[in-house]
Amino acid sequence: MSKTILVNNFIKNVRTAGAEVLFSPGEAAVSTDRWPGLLDFSKADLRLQYQTLENSEQWTDIAHALFCSRLGVAENGAVWLEDADMPHRILPFITRHLILRLATDSLVADMHEAYAKLGQDNFGFGVFISGPSKTADIEQSLVYGAHGAKELTVLLCD
Amino acid sequence: MSQHSKKARRFLADAKRAAWHDETLWMVRCKRDRAAEAVDDWENLRGQASDIKEKALENIPQYIRQFKEAARQNGAIVMEASNHVMLQGYVATILRSNGALRVVKSKSMLTEECGLNEYLIEQGFTIIDTDLGECIMQLRREPPSHIVLPAIHLRKEEIGETFHKHLGTEAGASDPTYLAQAARKYLREQFLSAQAAITGVNFAVAETGTIVVCTNEGNADMGVHAAPIQIHCMSIEKIIPAMADLGVFTRLLARSATGQAVTAYTSHYRTPKPDGKMYIIIVDNGRSERLYHPTGRSTLKCIRCGACMNTCPVYRRSGGHSYGQVIPGPIGSAIAPFRDFRTAAGLPFACSLCESCSNICPVRINLHEQLYYWRQEMNSYRSTPILRKLIMKTAALVLAKPLYYRLAGSLGRFFLRYFPFMLKLPLRAWTRGRKLPRPERQTFRQWYARNASKHTS
Repeated sequence: MSKTILVNNFIKNVRTAGAEVLFSPGEAAVSTDRWPGLLDFSKADLRLQYQTLENSEQWTDIAHALFCSRLGVAENGAVWLEDADMPHRILPFITRHLILRLATDSLVADMHEAYAKLGQDNFGFGVFISGPSKTADIEQSLVYGAHGAKELTVLLCD
Repeated sequence: MSQHSKKARRFLADAKRAAWHDETLWMVRCKRDRAAEAVDDWENLRGQASDIKEKALENIPQYIRQFKEAARQNGAIVMEASNHVMLQGYVATILRSNGALRVVKSKSMLTEECGLNEYLIEQGFTIIDTDLGECIMQLRREPPSHIVLPAIHLRKEEIGETFHKHLGTEAGASDPTYLAQAARKYLREQFLSAQAAITGVNFAVAETGTIVVCTNEGNADMGVHAAPIQIHCMSIEKIIPAMADLGVFTRLLARSATGQAVTAYTSHYRTPKPDGKMYIIIVDNGRSERLYHPTGRSTLKCIRCGACMNTCPVYRRSGGHSYGQVIPGPIGSAIAPFRDFRTAAGLPFACSLCESCSNICPVRINLHEQLYYWRQEMNSYRSTPILRKLIMKTAALVLAKPLYYRLAGSLGRFFLRYFPFMLKLPLRAWTRGRKLPRPERQTFRQWYARNASKHTS
């Protein structure tokens, strides 16, 4: 599959899953103006700072949190995160707005390829995230933000 | 009349709700079709899934052993419960020994089957179901009516009323977004104050000791990552051999269940969190018996997507509660005889043998053949109603002799045309929900006699 098709499929399926896709030429494009109080967990020092996170009150007020991923799946718009990407496992779920940064080179076509790429990696916890948290348990009406993130942005960079 | 028929009649008494239920589940079924059609090698994928599950069942003791070893190496504590009583005991012991009183739970049909909630509440624990649908059902003290869409039988006004009573939402409010946000707020408090989290399990990977849980809401993760103790309850048949197999199942599960390409979260739990404890309880509760039953064995391939319910014409028109089982619908009816042969009586008959369930099942369980098998088993154990016996005998006689058949046909058409009310009386149960057809002017035989010569010459 050519890279253009892969990228286009991925974008289409991320949007179907209810998330927004932005193109970012690099790290500089992540602006705190757009997302005030952004916690950028792609930065090692911030990861270190949050590793000792104990107080649950610290979790609850997180508005925007960014994580860097090494794997995205074109067929369903899912983005992979694992222990190494986050200082605490609850962070991608408890933030109100989740931002996932991903290089287009990290995209694979489908879940078979995704698991092949993960291979025998010894991650303690890992998750494929496709779109924001959602529920349709009330009369099949789709509502975003059941428990996890209400909004999801995928930042694609080359 | 069977228990299922009686309860179905109660469900159908509210014609508007019944029609909504039917249409809504059909809509979910259509979404599944579109999702399946978008995958090039869907049928191949179903075949692969079925093969993997067969292989896993064939070697289940070996895979369980491998799984336990890997999980223990990962730092998890693994226990095995042969029945529901042991599961209840283990969970209560884990909670007590860790001083945990407040527990959140994400969806698990196994713990539902094992009566875990009821037991823990009796023992003084607080246990909160966190899947929105299950939370609604818990507040209403009702069982779920569908394994993927627990509250599908309810209208939003009823949920609004429940939330008003228990969560203090505004009286009369029924907007789904408003209600879901109220639940988010309430459940977030529960997540952050819970001392332990219990989850069900979608897949357990023997190779790596990984537990995989799929949710759309993120409730399993909120619970597991916030609480110091995580307990995963799995039945033995959740075992799959390798990580690569997940590629097959994650492609099938959500597409079959709701028509999504994948669930919002596909979570892989391998090691406990730092300073946390991870328990895995492997439960049999009657599975071994099914494993060695020549017909029932393949029901253990089920991945609990609910597609057979959404497509079943009987389920859609009778509602999940009419089955009186933890798992309703075609798969539920095929499992029920193993749980209690007596209470399951009638369920294999709540089926038109249309085969839609078998054709949609992502792991290719031969559901309609299972139900056909149980009908015969049940008829050999119980006395068939005398009227049904008589009808069957008469039918056998009539269908065996062309003369009788033609005679019966013309009699039927005669009465249908001139005295339809006379047919309505003995067929009362059948005509309650149906109109008698207008008889055709000519029979197929007559038509054939007239037309065959034209085409053959």
